[in-house]
Amino acid sequence: MIQVENLSYTYDGEETPALNGITVEIPRGIHLGIIGPNGCGKTTFVRHLNGLLPTTRGDVRVEGMSIKKTSDLYRIRQLVGMVFQNPENQIVGMTVMEDVAFGPGNLRLPAEEIGRRVREALAQVGLESYGDKAPHALSNGEKQLVCIAGVLAMKPRYIILDEPTAYLDPSGRKMVLDVVQKLHARGITIVHITHHMDEIVGADRILVMDRGRIILSERPGVVFSNVALLKDVGLDVPEMTELMWRLQKMGNPVRTDVLTLEEACRELNACLSHAKPQSREG
Amino acid sequence: MVHLGQYIPRSSIIHCLDPRVKLAAAIVLSIVILKGDVLTQCWITAFLLILVPASRLNPGHIRAAFRPMLFFLGLLFFLHLLFTKGTPIPPFPPWRVTITYEGLYTGAFVIWQFLLLILSASILTMSTSPGELISGIERLLRPLKRLGVPSHDLAMMISMALRFVPTILDELEKIREAQTARGACFKTGPILRRMKATASLLIPLIQSIVRRADALAMAMESRGYNRGPRTYLRELRMGRKDYLALLIFACAMGMEVGGRYVLHHGWL
Repeated sequence: MIQVENLSYTYDGEETPALNGITVEIPRGIHLGIIGPNGCGKTTFVRHLNGLLPTTRGDVRVEGMSIKKTSDLYRIRQLVGMVFQNPENQIVGMTVMEDVAFGPGNLRLPAEEIGRRVREALAQVGLESYGDKAPHALSNGEKQLVCIAGVLAMKPRYIILDEPTAYLDPSGRKMVLDVVQKLHARGITIVHITHHMDEIVGADRILVMDRGRIILSERPGVVFSNVALLKDVGLDVPEMTELMWRLQKMGNPVRTDVLTLEEACRELNACLSHAKPQSREG
Repeated sequence: MVHLGQYIPRSSIIHCLDPRVKLAAAIVLSIVILKGDVLTQCWITAFLLILVPASRLNPGHIRAAFRPMLFFLGLLFFLHLLFTKGTPIPPFPPWRVTITYEGLYTGAFVIWQFLLLILSASILTMSTSPGELISGIERLLRPLKRLGVPSHDLAMMISMALRFVPTILDELEKIREAQTARGACFKTGPILRRMKATASLLIPLIQSIVRRADALAMAMESRGYNRGPRTYLRELRMGRKDYLALLIFACAMGMEVGGRYVLHHGWL
């Protein structure tokens, strides 16, 4: 479990705090989505979760270890892996294999163990045959998978994804999201920041952030039915939710806690078949 | 198209050797080449010409390694030709410059030296992958750690510099296209305007590199870097063939030095 207690943070030379009294618990095995407008503190928040930013006020504890204690920091970074926006700026190795070996090398594992972990991690993201390729020869989606494999090779319990699909084309996006689903199914806790609402409709919980605070922490269905609130802070809702919301505003008796195409289909079908017999009788 | 110093994957004896052996040999060879006389050059030329087929490299690869250096070599030759004092060569009276026998000789000798240096360095880099080369350098520098030389950081820096060459070239191309689209001209026009246009490439490029470095540092820290010594996927281990190669190389160099001693001082 990651416990965040009253965490505040102000960047040097700025007046308004980037984070303002965040308190939240992230239990093991959860898929947590984080949304919020640009500059709301999402990235600043998650960068505290493995101690990349120092705490000035409040505390973050990962499995009981505080990020304030520098001697625990390397253990915390092994447990909490992070995948950033731009895959190009995360790959340090000259080959895929060397890059995935970077983390385990920092853990000072013996060469045989590093080799085993590299093979395992590459298999988990489906890039077994890419070991000797140069990162330059990969697509952006594949590069991001290499970054995920690099984190997996450290055997983390938590993976934080900070807008992992922002630089990817639709097919790359799908590759990454499929792998994230798979890892979550394997019991790895996922913390997923995104601007694409449809990426996290399947999450267990969504945090909505605005101006350094968490303004909502609920299941996706509840979060996205708060259309007015989301629109107020400048966020979109999934297209299907938006559709139902507009239909309801036009006076149709439809539910608005609809997230996916399937759910929308079912809801509309129910409404229409309810209406059909009446029109025939008329 | 092969270029200077590019790794050529082959399955040769030379490719299989421990990078440390090859690095040490290249360093010793460079010193011997720069210190040696004509006899040494002949000896090393023969030695390197055996190494080329032994590394399964063909003359095309060697030519590709020499090509970018030709201008530099030509310049070097002419400078020596023109500025060496000594006995003038008579049949050039109408020329203002005097060309000496010594100049001709030194020029040719220096070029020979440089060709040998390029050849030995090319055999090293063409037969050793960058990754191997860097772990070799790292291992060779490890003893210097006591003197405060951070060998693993140095190795990391070299490997990242190599890793980001294609990325940064891509970036440069993108900036060039963006600036061309806005009317910048890099190929024609007065020289001053072209220089200004080049600045419009460099400044955004440097800015992007700095931003990239920042993100990269964050990603590396997040993966547990900066803790001091690390371990590697491939730990180098000297095998029997490596010691054998070292022995052969030592014998070859010993014969060169010994031979020269005999030549100058006689057998006893």
